[in-house]
Amino acid sequence: MSPLESSRTPLQRRAFLKAVTAGAVVTPFGLSLASCAASGSGPDTGGGGGGGATGEVSDANPFGVAAGTTVEAVVFDGGYGTDYASFAAAIVQEQLDDVTVDVVGSTQIAQQMQPRFVGGTPPDLLDNNGANAIGLSTIAAQLEDLTEVVQAPNTEGTTIADTLYPNVLGVGMYDGKLAALNYVLTVYALWYSESLFEENGWTAPQTWDEALALGAAAQEQGKYLFTWGREAASYYLTMALDSAIKEGGDDVRLQMANLQPDAWSGEAITGVLAAMEQVVSRGYMRPGGAGTQFTQAQAQWSQAQEALLYPSGSWIENEMADATAEGFQMTGAPTPTVTSGSALPYAAINNTPNEPFVVPSQGQNPAGGKEVLRVMLSPETATEFARTKLASTIVAGTIPDDAFGSSALAAQVAMLDAAGTDTFNYNFVQTYGMTQEVNGLWNSFLSGDSDAATLAQGMQAMFDRIREDDSVVKVEVS
Amino acid sequence: MVVFLGLPFAFYVVMVLYPFTQATYYSLTAWTGFSAEQPFVGLGNYARLAGDARFLTALGNSLTLLVVVPALVMVASFALACLLTFGGSTAGSVKGLRGTAFYRVVSFFPYVVPAIVIGIIWAQVYDPSGGLLNGVLTGVGLDRFTDFPWLGDVDTAMAATIAVIVWAFVGFYMVLFVASIQGIDPELFEAARLDGAGRVRSALSIALPGIAGSVRTAYVYMGILALDAFVYLQALNPNGGPDSSTLVVTQQIFSTAFSQGQFGLACAMGVVLAVVTLLFVGAVFGVARLLGVRGGARA
Repeated sequence: MSPLESSRTPLQRRAFLKAVTAGAVVTPFGLSLASCAASGSGPDTGGGGGGGATGEVSDANPFGVAAGTTVEAVVFDGGYGTDYASFAAAIVQEQLDDVTVDVVGSTQIAQQMQPRFVGGTPPDLLDNNGANAIGLSTIAAQLEDLTEVVQAPNTEGTTIADTLYPNVLGVGMYDGKLAALNYVLTVYALWYSESLFEENGWTAPQTWDEALALGAAAQEQGKYLFTWGREAASYYLTMALDSAIKEGGDDVRLQMANLQPDAWSGEAITGVLAAMEQVVSRGYMRPGGAGTQFTQAQAQWSQAQEALLYPSGSWIENEMADATAEGFQMTGAPTPTVTSGSALPYAAINNTPNEPFVVPSQGQNPAGGKEVLRVMLSPETATEFARTKLASTIVAGTIPDDAFGSSALAAQVAMLDAAGTDTFNYNFVQTYGMTQEVNGLWNSFLSGDSDAATLAQGMQAMFDRIREDDSVVKVEVS
Repeated sequence: MVVFLGLPFAFYVVMVLYPFTQATYYSLTAWTGFSAEQPFVGLGNYARLAGDARFLTALGNSLTLLVVVPALVMVASFALACLLTFGGSTAGSVKGLRGTAFYRVVSFFPYVVPAIVIGIIWAQVYDPSGGLLNGVLTGVGLDRFTDFPWLGDVDTAMAATIAVIVWAFVGFYMVLFVASIQGIDPELFEAARLDGAGRVRSALSIALPGIAGSVRTAYVYMGILALDAFVYLQALNPNGGPDSSTLVVTQQIFSTAFSQGQFGLACAMGVVLAVVTLLFVGAVFGVARLLGVRGGARA
């Protein structure tokens, strides 16, 4: 409306003012709504490369990265940082003419990548990890099959697949394609202080009966068997699942990973939960975990040594490096079994690798993303990673005998060697975004507020709900 | 007209109304948030929410916060404001407690601290073994609080969380109410005192009616904050607390959208929350009108 008109129609202006005021009142209430709104540009405007330009394919350039292109790698900037990716990026730039690799760190993967996936402009390589990772099943259909990468020769000419530890690719399979390549090998074990155990003549428990006996011995000294933190109660789910899978065999893993209706009433898991219920009811858990921040709880084990054992992935040494008692000599042992006649041997171990790298199909330069991955999986970068991070990649044989002086890393290699091909892995908790709910259920169980039956019921109810929910993309595990 | 109202209004339409409409539309789709496909499902998401036990728990907790937090903050800050304005010695003219200026500054401190810092500080205070609270309680001989998990026990987690939010805002609203009470003619308080009115009577019959407009506005603001409360809850109990006893709608929106990849459903939750907020504001204004409160812009 023109100024002239408006001056002649004061009533209109008043109505307008009223509308503006009403709007201003509504503003703060809408925050919750506005937070949902997308900035995405919609399906049509996406300028996705969908393959991008291709260069000449050769042994040194098996995916045909075109000269003059740029590769964008977004890497989770967590415990391992991003420098290992930059290390690989430098090698790629050296080997290929006029190719630039940009490595960008991020800890807000889902928040930052969401509009880019919608708009069709995702990065060429993405390390989808951390508390803000994208549920992989959500984007699996938009990702490249990375089988091509593991079948390619590494920089020294050996096929990459032949250089990897056994059973490390399975968790990256989505609907028959290798959608994610988990780069860092992780060993899930019970961690303890070798010096403390030696001093007291203790040994790591091989069955739950032995664990209960150890708990009694700890109690005599005013110590506890385990401790836990509220955000990491889910580590006890991992321990229970590992123990049940070893006891009952691979069927247990398949039942769990496929969210089967009777997964939580099987004999193996029931046996494990019954034993853990004993641990709780006999007072072998350090009290207060449900209200304790997890790194503080971990320090009760590594620093104050109030608890003997801690179930965790092998990142624990790195994570607690600044809060570990002098002379602790951190070492690890496999998860106990229920009976000595378990389906898998005691040495069997969960080696679910971590740091899932994916190559979005819509990126400008998917070939470039694969090339960076190929170099990361080659001996130079894998060895550099092991040396600087004191952790192994999925590439075998990069850890020297002295394990760079790290007792925990040495234990990790020893456990993997002892397990041989008796390794297994699963990652349905991350796939379906269950962690928050799992922590709720397990905090109650570990504090003694609920019992094994209630816990199993709660877990099964969650499984059933997700399985029956058509809007959740399922991942068939085999 | 065009410059002074048209431009801001256009800005408002683009930046506020459009995102609202967009989010409402998304709530009718099964959009994952990570692809360009937005399959339309009508009211399907709302039907799912009605049967989603976890969402209903979160909604219940948010409503608990909505009822309890503003009420506690209003009562506490009004009582303190009365003490600081006319609760002092009865000798001489009407005045507040000695050291009023000091109390005003000190009690305002928490408001200056960012919410996330408050959350982290209190998470430490509540720590079962190393926390200040249990240290003091066990120090005075209450041994049953040894390793007591305030934020990890179903019976205390919500109360402990509410205490933190109240602590953070009492000072601010106290200062606000002090300013409002000082706008009331002091002679009214003097006259009441001569007539024999005590402090409580003066507070309820003179101060409260005198600042009713401010209280109403403050109540609305505090209620909106209680319905959000995301930062405090995320710092104190990121997993939603024991048995989801402190899980709130905003946390559920966050995890549904980003870790479970169900943006459509998350938007439906957002719409429900917005409707609850509007109903709350309507209820507060309605009640205030019934009580004859006038003029609300003084806050």
